[in-house]
Amino acid sequence: MDPMTFSIIRHRLFRIVDEAVITLKHVSGSAITNEGHDLMVSLYRADGTLLMGGVGFLHHLTSAAEACKAIIRRFQGQIGEADVYLLNDPYTAALHTSDIYLVAPIHHEGRLVAWSACFVHVTDIGAMNPGGFAPQAVDIYSEGFSSPGLKLLDRGEMRQDVLDTILNMVRSPEMVSLDLRSMIACCNVARDRMSALLTKYTAPVVDEACAALVEQSETLFRARLRALPDGQWQSRQYLDVQGETARVVLTMTKTDDRLVFDFTGSDPQSRHSINCTKWAALGGLFAPLFPLLCYDITWNEGVIRPVTMIAPEGSIVNCTRPAPVSVATVGAIQSVNNAACTTIGKMLAASPEYRDQATAVWHANHFAIFKFGANQRGGYSIGILTETFAGAGGARSFADGVDIGGEIPNPISRMANVETVEGAFPIRYLFRRRAPDSGGPGRYRGGTGGEMAIVQHRAPAGGIDYVISGKGARHPMSEGLAGGYPGAPNSYVWVHADAEAAPGSADRLETIPGTPEPVSWGVYPLRGQDALYVRWNGGGGYGDPIARDPAAVAADVTSGVVSARAAAEIYGVALAPDGGADSAATVALRGAIRTARLAVPEAAE
Amino acid sequence: MTRFILPTVATDGTICTCAACGHALGPAPWKRGAIRRDLPLAVAGGAAYDTGHAGVFLCQFICPGCAVLLDTETAMAGDAALDDRLHLPAAAN
Amino acid sequence: MQKQDSPPLSYLVATDVGGTCTDTIVFGSDGGIHIGKALSTPPDFAHGVLASIQSAATPMGLTLDDLLARTHLFVHGSTVVDNAVLTRDGARTGLITTLGFEDTLHVTRGAYGRWAGLTEGQMKHPVKTDRAAPLVAREAVVGVAERVDCFGDVVTPLDEAAVTAAVRHLVQDKGVEAIAVSFLWSFLNPAHEARVREIIEQVAPGTYVTLSSDIAPVPGEYERGSTAVINAYAGRITRDYLTDLASQLSARGYAGATMVMQGYGGLLPAAEAADRAVGMIECGPAAGVIGAKFLGDLMGDADVIAADMGGTTFKVGVIQGGQLEYAREPMVDRFHYIAPKIEVVSIGAGGGSIVAVDPVTRLPSVGPRSAGARPGPVCYGQGGHEATLTDVMLLIGYMDPDQFLGGAITLDRAGAAAAVASQVAEPLGLDPTAAAIGIYRIACAQITDLIREITVERGLDPRDFVLHAFGGTCGMLAAAFGEELSVRRVIIPYTASVNCAFGLISADVAHEYTTTRTLGTATPAAEVNAIFAGMEARARAQLLAEGIEPHRQRMEWSVDLRYCRQVHEVTTQVHAAAPLDTAGLARLVDDFEALYERKFGKGSAYREAGIEMTAFRLTARGLMPRPKLPVEEEGPADPSAALMGRRPILDLTSGGMAVGQIYNFTLLRPGNEVPGPAVIHTPITTIALHTGHRARMDRWRNIVVTTDAPHIDA
Repeated sequence: MDPMTFSIIRHRLFRIVDEAVITLKHVSGSAITNEGHDLMVSLYRADGTLLMGGVGFLHHLTSAAEACKAIIRRFQGQIGEADVYLLNDPYTAALHTSDIYLVAPIHHEGRLVAWSACFVHVTDIGAMNPGGFAPQAVDIYSEGFSSPGLKLLDRGEMRQDVLDTILNMVRSPEMVSLDLRSMIACCNVARDRMSALLTKYTAPVVDEACAALVEQSETLFRARLRALPDGQWQSRQYLDVQGETARVVLTMTKTDDRLVFDFTGSDPQSRHSINCTKWAALGGLFAPLFPLLCYDITWNEGVIRPVTMIAPEGSIVNCTRPAPVSVATVGAIQSVNNAACTTIGKMLAASPEYRDQATAVWHANHFAIFKFGANQRGGYSIGILTETFAGAGGARSFADGVDIGGEIPNPISRMANVETVEGAFPIRYLFRRRAPDSGGPGRYRGGTGGEMAIVQHRAPAGGIDYVISGKGARHPMSEGLAGGYPGAPNSYVWVHADAEAAPGSADRLETIPGTPEPVSWGVYPLRGQDALYVRWNGGGGYGDPIARDPAAVAADVTSGVVSARAAAEIYGVALAPDGGADSAATVALRGAIRTARLAVPEAAE
Repeated sequence: MTRFILPTVATDGTICTCAACGHALGPAPWKRGAIRRDLPLAVAGGAAYDTGHAGVFLCQFICPGCAVLLDTETAMAGDAALDDRLHLPAAAN
Repeated sequence: MQKQDSPPLSYLVATDVGGTCTDTIVFGSDGGIHIGKALSTPPDFAHGVLASIQSAATPMGLTLDDLLARTHLFVHGSTVVDNAVLTRDGARTGLITTLGFEDTLHVTRGAYGRWAGLTEGQMKHPVKTDRAAPLVAREAVVGVAERVDCFGDVVTPLDEAAVTAAVRHLVQDKGVEAIAVSFLWSFLNPAHEARVREIIEQVAPGTYVTLSSDIAPVPGEYERGSTAVINAYAGRITRDYLTDLASQLSARGYAGATMVMQGYGGLLPAAEAADRAVGMIECGPAAGVIGAKFLGDLMGDADVIAADMGGTTFKVGVIQGGQLEYAREPMVDRFHYIAPKIEVVSIGAGGGSIVAVDPVTRLPSVGPRSAGARPGPVCYGQGGHEATLTDVMLLIGYMDPDQFLGGAITLDRAGAAAAVASQVAEPLGLDPTAAAIGIYRIACAQITDLIREITVERGLDPRDFVLHAFGGTCGMLAAAFGEELSVRRVIIPYTASVNCAFGLISADVAHEYTTTRTLGTATPAAEVNAIFAGMEARARAQLLAEGIEPHRQRMEWSVDLRYCRQVHEVTTQVHAAAPLDTAGLARLVDDFEALYERKFGKGSAYREAGIEMTAFRLTARGLMPRPKLPVEEEGPADPSAALMGRRPILDLTSGGMAVGQIYNFTLLRPGNEVPGPAVIHTPITTIALHTGHRARMDRWRNIVVTTDAPHIDA
């Protein structure tokens, strides 16, 4: 087709997704959508295959495609113009119940020509714990309302009885209503803009461009795969809940222009809600694949075709009904993100041509703390601690990871200001900063995670409560690359205040008076003078830590992100009195580390 | 022709070698020819890694020739080493 | 001010220092308009300012000293602050902040600072993204014990000994020349920050100090602290620059006042502007929007899209219902700051934008890389080898090789053709003309998409707007993308070439005040009035001190409101008379609800949760006399006196090259009408018209383009 028209239509499809995202954020007005960017909008072809994926939570791009297909199957012959469908059943296509998909057909001159789909994490879904993540859930039935597909708008008209039924099942019906309205507005914009495009260029021309776009992505992706070495790369993730450990094991095999992701060997599904369904696992591996391998290729069906997933049924990455899945997005799915990031990173690093595209794992473990309770202004507040989106960058073959730099599957998140949180919740931060020694050591250091502590502050009810779905406190999850260490793991500590001690201006965990108790899973109070301390994981490192530039290590010590102990023990860098690196002593330390490494008597296995 | 399994480990299709010093690690899987050192997390890297729970290790794979760190893994006791290898035509790398 | 010795003719001089050019516009008391232009001369911008004024004076038959001696007011905008930040040429700066939050500035609210300011293509490639190099080294951040809570109450008193130690450490060990101070909740209770200033003045007198509670007394510690840092970083450069400029002007005989443009589109006396470096960021583009608003007001158009396209960037501002739009999250380089600033969105698309075919996707693209002024487009013959949009414009007949810049250089058509052929046409398998036409269509489509997105973001429909086209490249595209956007008409103003300088002379003195407090809408009006009264007293005293008498003072009130539990705050003007009564407050809430729906769409409001006021704003204006633009009677429509000839030009309506009429702008008379396909050459740009377009010169010598056909394929 004419390359100019093709280029214009491609650009416009891109912008249509953009405009729909803007509309969604405008109408929603919630913090998780606006600050966390916990959302997604994409366009799909008439058969439900991905046409144009936007920048949002990327593990939704393929799952929403499956949602489109599920709606097509269920409503074949009854799909009307301006209908809007809702789907949030994880065993049909969704990731977990609180990430609701709205799927809307786009018609032109009476014919179904495309779909738009979007999601937000709704304020509540009626699960047994508030906010959507339900660590106490025992099965899908305790995780709130779930639909394998229903018609919410019939030819543009809201089905009020259906809406009322949904709102009747959730804790914060006004906010959920607004969440749904934001997605409807988003579908409307996508439909209007697509209509204008179709009118201007005619349906056959647009369809040809869409087909060409998918074709082009496939061609380019296959060519990239052919340029990478054939081989297999493995990774393993541990998910820790209440002392029970589940493994996600991945073997990625690349042959010519095809990629197979095989999760054989992963543990059976858990009784905890960290499991994910197969559509979620598929989404989970594509989330890093799009930005790592297809950064310059349009994200659509063409990228999906060369990829196969094998996920054993009944495993943690392909659980069977009624296993609970409400923590999936920060549980098994995130582990799939991490495992895929590692194997893709290894493959890219194995190619001298693509080595600079490789990265160690970024922010590997969300902690998803939802706080709720009466606020200082006479109302009731519920919301996520947006530090969970703050993340940490993995180290690269040419540079350190970005400190508190976000995550790969959701490239454009942000965290709220302390003042924003303290204005909305009756809490006070004692500190919030980069967490020392959290970035995975390496020749290039992983970006640091962060640490923070909060206490209740002038709370009318004496405090608040929070739901925490923080797995992984026992295992580092942000794997390193090429000899780099993983980022340090998460840590959650409830400091029980002693009788009279006040936290005052404690600025480290160690100086908060009281008795520490690790917490990670369930619902807890934050009352009196008690404090909640959270440290989140750093990114993985790249390369041997004793190959790191001593001056860079010394600078890290000066700015407080690496301890003198870690500098000496891991990096083999001795510090001079002026804070710089002591060259001679560093050479000696590094020599001693080499000697110790070689002192291990025999080869492995 | 030298190809890489990882930036730190090369192979000619038959024998894997340390990319830094050329030390032969043997046929695939290359980790069999490396020194494996399992550090309990508590001593692996300062206070930040010390979770207070035993049984989790930082495994280091080290070149016996030059002592460079070739790869790391987080592992629980008893878990097999990850097996990364190239699939080259007509070779048992 | 002395007025008795007024010369017979007096002048108002406005000079805008842009990235490339320094533009001057001189208005005589006789109504004459004179224009000057010179290259900008960073970092010694004052040099270019004098050269630009000189270049306006010479054709007037005056020396620089003559002109300045007869000048009663000098109005100025400059890119000096933007330049200091972009080139990292500011002071060595330290930061004192709340203990435990020392990383706030560097951590940039997580990933935000890593992706903010990047293109979507860059955001999709996170492995290659990093934060911008910070203005303050992490070692130059010191936390001190102190804490204020969300009610403004002190939780932990300020540790003054720690402050003294911090100042000594920063100044003596770290060698800082400027210190920013930013504490949590200081906008509610600035006492701790104020005390730190006193201590700095004792311990290290002469250090440049910026308090976050002074420069940006609003919530959001990351952005407020970043604002304080930027201000401290660029503060001294700004002050030195304005002082130096004043002394150079005075040495040339200028005795009047100097007013400096701010990013919010108002003027401040130079002495005040010197202490508010952040206020000057992007003040040139803001002036451009003010100029567009002035013209819009003059022509009766309340809704204007102001588009400026020069050599490297395409900039858009929106005026809606006569109101300016303010940026929500302004940035300089990639640093966030909070200061009222007119929203101007820009993309890398200009005449110098490189036209290429992506080697991976085989897709043709325009920009964002630019050939800049050097080496520039291939056709300039200055060594440029990469095909640019300007080269394309030459190939489709929109530029006259022999008449560029009044014939100053002859454009190399063969060189441009060869570059487009080898770099665009051949990779795509097209002939060079078809390739050039395609690139023109892509440029139009990209601009259309951008403007549509910007208007959608504000809940606006471009069909309600008039488009003003400024800059050297805009005229060649404006009629085409204006038609695709279905704007009401496209106007290429007479002053298009010096629009930012023109904006300077159409601005008022303006001070912005903000008080941050969260109040329910049931709050008694008296409480709201008390907040306003405090700000008004300060504002009136300030204006009076600047010599602006009460009859020239205007107070404009507005309030930020939001639905509880939603994040979008909407600044809503107070239309009711002050002081407010209950009805006035009710009207404010009604206006907010209407505005919210218009901005964010029907059904977007969460009324059930209630509405709250979060900030109270005052814009205090000192009205400046407006220049009177000369008006000429409109004559007959026949433009043939200005017809220079005919040549093949691109006519999008017919889809290819067609013979077009070529007109000379300087020979057109008001009332003349030019039908497309045609081009009108002005001294600085070309206006391209396609079949179905009609251009008319109005009585202010603006070119007004309308369409009679409803559809053009771009």
